[in-house]
Amino acid sequence: MRRTTEQRSAPAGARPDAVPGATTGRGGSVPLLKVRDLTVTFGSRGRSDVRAVDGVSLDVFAGQTVGIVGESGSGKSVTSLAALGLLGKRGVTVTGSVEFEGDDLLTMPDDELRALRGRDVAMVFQDPMSALNPVLTVGRQITEILTRHRDMDRREAKQEAARLLDSVGIADATRRLTSFPHQLSGGMRQRVMIAMALACSPRLLIADEPTTALDVTISAQILELLRTLVSDTQTALVMITHDLGVVAGLCDQVHVMYSGRIVESAPRKVLFADPAHPYTHGLLASVPRLDQPRGTPLQPIPGSPSDTLPWSRGCAFAPRCSRQVDECLGGPPVLEPVAAQSHLLRCVNPVPLQGPPAAEGTP
Amino acid sequence: MSLLEVRGLKVHFPIKKGLVLERTVGAVRAVDGVDLSVERGRTLGVVGESGCGKSTLGRAVLALEPVVEGTVVFDGQDLSQLKGADLRAMRKRMQMVFQDPLASLDPRQSVGSILSEPLRTHGEKGPHDRRVRELLDLVGLPTSALNRYPHEFSGGQRQRIGIARAIALNPELIIADEPVSALDVSIQAQVVNLLEELQERLGLTYLVIAHDLAVVRHISDDVAVMYLGSVVEVASSDDLYAAPLHPYTIALLSAIPIPDPEVEDRRERVLLRGDLPSASDPPSGCRFHTRCPFRQPTRCDDEVPALRVLDAFPGHQVACHFAEQVHSGELQPAITTATTAV
Repeated sequence: MRRTTEQRSAPAGARPDAVPGATTGRGGSVPLLKVRDLTVTFGSRGRSDVRAVDGVSLDVFAGQTVGIVGESGSGKSVTSLAALGLLGKRGVTVTGSVEFEGDDLLTMPDDELRALRGRDVAMVFQDPMSALNPVLTVGRQITEILTRHRDMDRREAKQEAARLLDSVGIADATRRLTSFPHQLSGGMRQRVMIAMALACSPRLLIADEPTTALDVTISAQILELLRTLVSDTQTALVMITHDLGVVAGLCDQVHVMYSGRIVESAPRKVLFADPAHPYTHGLLASVPRLDQPRGTPLQPIPGSPSDTLPWSRGCAFAPRCSRQVDECLGGPPVLEPVAAQSHLLRCVNPVPLQGPPAAEGTP
Repeated sequence: MSLLEVRGLKVHFPIKKGLVLERTVGAVRAVDGVDLSVERGRTLGVVGESGCGKSTLGRAVLALEPVVEGTVVFDGQDLSQLKGADLRAMRKRMQMVFQDPLASLDPRQSVGSILSEPLRTHGEKGPHDRRVRELLDLVGLPTSALNRYPHEFSGGQRQRIGIARAIALNPELIIADEPVSALDVSIQAQVVNLLEELQERLGLTYLVIAHDLAVVRHISDDVAVMYLGSVVEVASSDDLYAAPLHPYTIALLSAIPIPDPEVEDRRERVLLRGDLPSASDPPSGCRFHTRCPFRQPTRCDDEVPALRVLDAFPGHQVACHFAEQVHSGELQPAITTATTAV
């Protein structure tokens, strides 16, 4: 990973983005994770660079659940991978800073980072089948973490691994330690992943679409598990998902990403009651809801997530936006507070707050 | 009369053992006794978790899977009696839309060629140019798409191509197997709306197979809930969501997150224990009894419940011995929101 010290060239006179989540800390406490201006650029020979994440700043406090919502290609996963230094080294440029309790993870030496990952910060990946090692038993994979980070001997580690599996709701845990990942069902594999992530009682857990590969009834079990975990242990949870329903029930603070930037950020109740960005508004209007009368027509967002504009020229969502005005194409919009300080928005022509949604017609 | 009648349908996949002397040691009962009917011009949604047999059911209806027992009657004709040219002629009238639009489109064929292929296969006289342009127009793609290849399109557009191919022969029945689950959230509504619009314009009958209950409810007139190879509840879309009677349906509905924090905070969840049992060795009695929060001693374990209509709910079929008691609240679930062991 190449790190450049130069700052992203901001247009002269442009206001800086506000930092989402910064005002929601408890009693002015210091954030556990402080991401500032994180930018990830992928380059490959003969092609123009792709800026997957573009100046993302956010704070995560202890005991808080933060949701990052976006569609494929919005940069939500790359944000978390870059923050933990899990991106490959070739052709990737990461700038900005990611501070975990004051230490910048991006400049940290590799061995220190390795000591930190798994112990203080853990991650649950979307597809447990490809994240678990298929040729090692589940027990071997969990005890590896325990011997590495918690200095246990093999016998202790084995007992602890069984306890962990039990705590995530796997029956007959001791016997399951000798199972290989392919012998487990999808829900059980995801539980194993969560057990591994919890092995060292991390202070920060990043879950990247932890339930997307699972059936609804299993997914409800996993979400319940994460919910209890956060309330019992004060672990901070970063939940990366495309499912607005998951966010609605779980997250304190929600950041909506589009094309590499945060476009709206608010506490969940504010966001769902008063979505101000046309994209957030459009997402909510385009999903059928179980608790609404049938026959409510869906209002799709026209176009596809690949119809974007480079942020330097204007709002990336403008080509798909029903509220597009000329100013949308006049340079990058700034993330700034609307109404409440905790509600940040990157839009020049937002959906009127608590206004009738009638203005949202599809062209 | 209904356009499609499925009676006692069973599809079993044999489990074989031995290299030289191959013998059958068991069977995966993917679909095990399903009754369904779809009226002309209506939409039946089939929901269930992965492994419940809903896709196999869809394929068996199209005579793409060998049927062990039971009949599929399409417009008065039993498909299992048809062979060769007759079956092919029948296939013209029923088409399929697949889940993964990229995997179901030939990457080396241009869109024009993909869309004219069904016409060529079924011996429609050429040139097909006009029909292909008409199809593109129907699904809202520009004519310039004709000479382009599937990889040049976005996911939503690819699904439009898949839909255009399915309607090329003016079929009566379309079986859509997870038509939107591979698409981005903002795109799903486009495809759902397109399917509804086409149904209205062309008078299509749909069998929509999906795991997303919100989507199924939106698009379907009637919904059948499947669990481990059999149908546990059938009702009109509105009835099913207003008053789910089968414990599995109740749990399924309560497991779906709703994008509204106020609603989410107030909801009570009925959580299920464990995973779907294996279809090669399904539980005795009611197949759901191993995970059912309302399970009662002996009867649930021993006796297979039949689909029946409750007196209070005409037109609403449910396969549960204790549906009345569950609905009236006489029986309470063993576990609700608490985290549960598997």
